Amino acid sequence: MAISVKLDRVLLDRGMSLTELSERVGVTIANLSILKTGKAKAIRFSTLEAICHELKCQPGDILFFDDEDSAAKAAQ
Amino acid sequence: MRAIGKGSLASILAMGLNIIRIVLWIGFIGLSIAVVVIPFASVIAGMFQGFGGGEAWVDGADYIQIAYQFVSVGVMLFVVTRLLEVLKTLRFGSPFVKENAEHFRTVGYALLIGEGAKIAFGFLSLITSADIEIDTQPITWLAIITVFVLAEVFHEGARMKEEQDLTV
Repeated sequence: MAISVKLDRVLLDRGMSLTELSERVGVTIANLSILKTGKAKAIRFSTLEAICHELKCQPGDILFFDDEDSAAKAAQ
Repeated sequence: MRAIGKGSLASILAMGLNIIRIVLWIGFIGLSIAVVVIPFASVIAGMFQGFGGGEAWVDGADYIQIAYQFVSVGVMLFVVTRLLEVLKTLRFGSPFVKENAEHFRTVGYALLIGEGAKIAFGFLSLITSADIEIDTQPITWLAIITVFVLAEVFHEGARMKEEQDLTV
């Protein structure tokens, strides 16, 4: 997918574990793990809002768009 | 009526299909025995002549008839087995999986083969004395199309379910 998730990097910067984030935002570790490993197909605004609120960051700090990957997929 | 669990429509259907499967297997075994026995039919009839048995005359038409029955029973067995697989996933509470779309698609192809074989054997019977009618009903073709439509619905349903499962 052309959208990649950099949740692990933000978590490292904030010194927060996935378990702690899970407890704070009320999303299961399994779901956060899906998000962290890039397996997620979609993210709810409510989840993104809760994560950004707890990590004191912007959605753009977590989500990245890889234009090359997108172009490669379009070419296929 | 409940969708899953004991007394549900799925469990009743599964029970009915299991009974049909047993009957079809008996028919399949019976046909297999017939294939082995038919070449010796006149010999067997001769053995029983003294006990009131008559002469048995076997020709190519009998083999065509048996081949047709083999295809019919085979297709029905295949369809029943696939439907039982679909019902199994329903009883486990997750019918929208890609396997079910594939099951429905293969059922559609099996029905196509069955109906095609019916017509082909019907034409074959014209040049032999086999008693098979060239008979096809529009409702059968509509049912086959319905199965293919269901397969596509299940395919899309499985994709939507996967997307929902991977939405955080």
